[in-house]
Amino acid sequence: MTVFKTFWKVVKRYKGTIIGFTLMLVIFGSINMSSNDVTSSFKETKPDIIIVNNDNTILADGLVSYFKENANIIDVKNTERAIDDAIFYRDASYVIYIPDGYEDNILNGGNGNIEIKSSGDYTSNLAEMLLTRYIKAIKVLSKEYSDKTTLLSKVNNALDENSKVELTTKINTTELSRLSRYYNFASYTLIAVILFIICLVLSSFNKETTRKRIVVSSMDYKKHNKYILIASSLYSIFVVILYTILAFIIFGSLTFTERGLLYILNTFIFSFVALCMALFISTLVKNKEAVSGIVNVVALSQAFLCGAFIPVVWLPESVIKIAHVLPAYWYINTNDFLAELEVLSFTNLKPIWINMLILIIFAIIFIILNNIASRKKMVL
Amino acid sequence: MKKIIEVKNLSKSYKNLKAIDDLSFDVYEGEILGLLGPNGSGKSTTINSILNLLEFEKGTIKIFGKIMKPDAYDIKRDIGVIFQEVAVFEELTVYENIDYFCGLYVSDKLLRKSYVEDAINLVGLKEFTKFYPKQLSGGLLRRLNIACGIAHKPKLIFLDEPTVAVDPQSRNNILDGIKKLRDDGATIVYTTHYMEEVEMICDRIIILDKGKILAEGTTDELKSLAKLEEKITLEVKKISSKVVDEIKTFKTVDSVIQNGNNLVITYKKGKDNLGELTSFLHSKKVTYSKIFSERPTLNDVFLELTGKDLRD
Repeated sequence: MTVFKTFWKVVKRYKGTIIGFTLMLVIFGSINMSSNDVTSSFKETKPDIIIVNNDNTILADGLVSYFKENANIIDVKNTERAIDDAIFYRDASYVIYIPDGYEDNILNGGNGNIEIKSSGDYTSNLAEMLLTRYIKAIKVLSKEYSDKTTLLSKVNNALDENSKVELTTKINTTELSRLSRYYNFASYTLIAVILFIICLVLSSFNKETTRKRIVVSSMDYKKHNKYILIASSLYSIFVVILYTILAFIIFGSLTFTERGLLYILNTFIFSFVALCMALFISTLVKNKEAVSGIVNVVALSQAFLCGAFIPVVWLPESVIKIAHVLPAYWYINTNDFLAELEVLSFTNLKPIWINMLILIIFAIIFIILNNIASRKKMVL
Repeated sequence: MKKIIEVKNLSKSYKNLKAIDDLSFDVYEGEILGLLGPNGSGKSTTINSILNLLEFEKGTIKIFGKIMKPDAYDIKRDIGVIFQEVAVFEELTVYENIDYFCGLYVSDKLLRKSYVEDAINLVGLKEFTKFYPKQLSGGLLRRLNIACGIAHKPKLIFLDEPTVAVDPQSRNNILDGIKKLRDDGATIVYTTHYMEEVEMICDRIIILDKGKILAEGTTDELKSLAKLEEKITLEVKKISSKVVDEIKTFKTVDSVIQNGNNLVITYKKGKDNLGELTSFLHSKKVTYSKIFSERPTLNDVFLELTGKDLRD
């Protein structure tokens, strides 16, 4: 308990540093630079189409009526050139040619021999989908109903059942990108606060003179180190909790949504990497002055190369390639991915799980390196 | 007397350099044993080997009758160590530092509190308990270093040059504290290259050089090893060579060296050499402005044994 308490007493002496970095996160990580844009409603899209009716029968008129309801019918001159121009200039995305004999063909069990022209864009696909649906319906129902008016009425009833679209998630994209930016910036302050404080505290415990005094004492040195490890881990958890509370104060309930919890999980894993890195560096570095320099190099280089300060998309390809060898890249990559992801599902989140696995591999590498370095220092 | 430490045939080398060469000695209960020797003589290596902080090639070490091992925590419970370098936390106050190091031995909070207060009183840091090490002078820092090593009331204390770079007032305070620890029943191993400190506080002395024991015994026993018994220095305005030659013929005189106005006469033995000399000078009407007699020091013993000065 003495060791544990002393660890926290020493941490307390560096509270100014912790507060400084935390303030930096609050100020730079939460700046609101854009207006709200909440995707909370669904708007039905109607394709712009041209219909050339060469049949003028009851069933052909029924098809035209259906499209009048479900698409925007564009009036153009009935010439091929005018139709082609309309498609070229995107006045229309789809053209339906109802051939002479359409009705007879349908009643005889055919597809109506309809010809089409398409711009190939998204709305033309929508128009094609509507047409396919209509032909399938009339073809099936024509086998049961021979009366044309009844047939049309049944087709319209069958197709009239509109799908009710309800958005399962309402994504506040602005708030989400702000939250993502907050956590991206946290990659810098988290590394700095964990690395700086743990390295400084452990340099006091690992100072050769102090270490000698601990080794000659009646406390098992391994037990002593175990207390230090537990205290360091709790300190890292404390930092993550502190940053989560701050995120809640700034972003409200968004922090604890499914997406918000994934940010927290990602931050927790990243803090574990930072802890392992700190333990490794503190094994190598005894000098307090050197700690400051090393922490600045490690924290700032990761922040600049991995996109903590500026978005990754603005970074040159060569810089991003280098950033792949740094843990912060994978942490920030996950944050950015979470901000852009439309729907959360286990399959959709596969890249995130991979990123987290990579972070854990980084932690394991630092643990192995620390063990190697510690063994070399066991004998004075 | 009960043996507290038994060192037998201890040898330790750093690459090709033999730091300790087949060292054997005992430390008895309640004594202050001084390990005296110049820098690099093997004092700190001996202590570090006894404490198992260093691996050694050969030898056995017994403390309180048990073999000393790195995991001998029952033995370590009764050992206190004050290293040459100040080993404290800069981030903790004087009280917190002593409390932490005492806490490595004593888990009972109340007992520890009284131990820490005793240690603070012993080294005279009562007014500085809330000070941080950076706010303390070199002497006070050394006292804190000692308090951290002895707060848990050990039966055996190792002090490795605790007075290096300390002002005279703090040095006296430290030496008084060490004597008090001995008087309270502790056994102390004290290493230094300050012979006057050893003479002042040690019951027994081991003189080390190049990892070997040159001599061992009480101060008087060691001084008896010196060939010369007394050295008289006088400052004269004028003295003839004839008078100098006459002094050389004295039965107990070993040598006479004239250096300007100074005349240094060394005696092999004799007890009233100063009286005899002053009477002779008076009869020869030789006037002198200063005259003083010196008994041989441990430095003289060391000089005679090794041919070099302790502080070389």
